Amino acid sequence: MRRPIATTRRANLDAPYAPPSAATLDRALKAMTAVVGAAAAFATEEDRDAYSDRFPIDPHRHRPFAAVAPSSAQQVQALVRIAASHRVPIWTVSRGKNLGYGTAAPVVAGSIILDLSRMQKIEVDIPNATVLLEPGVGFFDLYDYLQTRNIPLWLSVPGNSWGSVIGNALDRGLGYTPYGEHTRNICGMEVVLPDGDLVRTGMGAMANAPTWQLHKYGYGPAWDQLFVQSNFGIVTKAGMWLMPQPEVVRGFDVEMDRMEDLGPLIDTIGPLRREGVLAQSPTIGNWFRAANILTTRKQWTDKSGSLSDDVISAIRKQFGLGWWGVSLRIYGRETVVQANMDILEKALNAIKPMSMKPFSWHPGEPFSPTQGGWMGVPMTFPMQSANWFGGRGGHIGFSPVLTQSGKLAMEQFNRTYARYKEFGMDYQASFAFGERHMLNVNAVLLNLDDPEFMKRVDPFLRTLIADARQHGYGEYRAHIDYMDTVADCYDYNNHALRRLNERVKNALDPAGILAPGRSGIWPAGHRKGSRV
Amino acid sequence: MRRILLTGLCALLSCGARAAELDGKQLFHEKCGMCHGAVGMGTGLLARRMKPDVAPLEMREDLSAPFVERAARIGIINMPPITRADVSDAQLASIAQYLAKGKPSK
Repeated sequence: MRRPIATTRRANLDAPYAPPSAATLDRALKAMTAVVGAAAAFATEEDRDAYSDRFPIDPHRHRPFAAVAPSSAQQVQALVRIAASHRVPIWTVSRGKNLGYGTAAPVVAGSIILDLSRMQKIEVDIPNATVLLEPGVGFFDLYDYLQTRNIPLWLSVPGNSWGSVIGNALDRGLGYTPYGEHTRNICGMEVVLPDGDLVRTGMGAMANAPTWQLHKYGYGPAWDQLFVQSNFGIVTKAGMWLMPQPEVVRGFDVEMDRMEDLGPLIDTIGPLRREGVLAQSPTIGNWFRAANILTTRKQWTDKSGSLSDDVISAIRKQFGLGWWGVSLRIYGRETVVQANMDILEKALNAIKPMSMKPFSWHPGEPFSPTQGGWMGVPMTFPMQSANWFGGRGGHIGFSPVLTQSGKLAMEQFNRTYARYKEFGMDYQASFAFGERHMLNVNAVLLNLDDPEFMKRVDPFLRTLIADARQHGYGEYRAHIDYMDTVADCYDYNNHALRRLNERVKNALDPAGILAPGRSGIWPAGHRKGSRV
Repeated sequence: MRRILLTGLCALLSCGARAAELDGKQLFHEKCGMCHGAVGMGTGLLARRMKPDVAPLEMREDLSAPFVERAARIGIINMPPITRADVSDAQLASIAQYLAKGKPSK
């Protein structure tokens, strides 16, 4: 028999967190299996490995106890109620492909994973250019759905598009089109709360509203962002705006020769982005971001430590890469696009690029698969960077939020590059424009076959986070090992934001079962014991 | 113990029976194509270790069904393990049978 939630609440808030016993976990899993069926409950050693972090600093640190895969919101409701009554931590994944941020693994080892992969409904509203999705729908699934039906709507895709459309938007993932800030495309959600209640946000709060995917706010407080990068609820459906296929796409693939060209490039793009001449989210990448997909380290050097300037020059020459490169794209009606292209070309010529290759595409024309990211076509080839060291690899991100100032970005680049050299790492960075901000997405490439190398990764990342914090730069997203450290940086008024988050957490999830530690938000009982 | 063995055997039998009814080729494209298609990560990395013309898994003639199933479940080098929620045992068996034939229909 399940205890009433109200009783559980008082007991739990007072008691310090203790991991559930093996017997409790077994009982909870048995009850969950009765909900989802034996074919959707996974608890072998191999299953536990499959749900562990694939790009880890320590692969054993976040190993889950089991996974269950519900097929409906009603099953999710039943599962959270079971978790609460047994006080067993659960961790939700949409498809579990968040490589670089923990894959499918939970912050708290021994959690039970709620894998929403089997929830795959797609409802497209063609005239309104929206889609209502369940979390198990991947970028490839949605792309194939639209293509096979000749629906002229585009998605925006991240550099590794293996994962879930909803899951990526819920972790504020990025793409490269005008719809590249994926969390902004969310319009209306269906959410299971930690006590099992089911709520719809925005206009969805009205039964049968035809405007759920059209108006983001509804009436009164708008809650969608409450369920983004949080542990306050489980999103079982979300609306996303799709981009109407443009009449034409034009642009330039720009290469800049020198390290110090970053500042002028940013100061050229920033005003055009703010003004709207550029509506996409342009991403400036360094030479290595392009090269580590195409080649491996051993082909160029057998020396450890950061790559020398000689090696960098040789690789750049081989692939025709500038120190920095960016693909700028303008989308829309032919006449408007051409007018904006003239403005863009003039601005770029003023900073003397090493090369500037024009791009043009109309619907129906073929294009190179490597151009797909700017056309909303999902891809996985950028993940070839995981093979940079020749064996098992991966990456962990370090992504502070910057201003769109060339001078300040150069300073941040110089500090970061010096640290990469100090710790003997190969520097991969990008600078991704929002409308007003810029995300400096650095990837630390891992060599999982080299324990000595791996020992340097954690102190390196903590140093980068501390450096950025000194200058007021906090990260927009974090790997499960760094969620506490990143949350710590948000420290105004003695961590008032954390206090607010935890008050909300304890109100919505008194049993403290949903994704403890997500984004540094811990339920009350965990407070002292669990924080790193 | 005996009960576990029997359950396992039943699972295997029903798995095989269901796999035969599934379309391995279609499932391969749906579940594996993003990496093992023409420009995917899997094809790109396999092309570094073998002749590029046999880097796409559908062009291989040396794959056995048990090998495909093990590789998918435990991962290989840069390939992450595929969970059973993503690709069920029956679906994977069907994909493995398709790839083990080694000859794509064109």
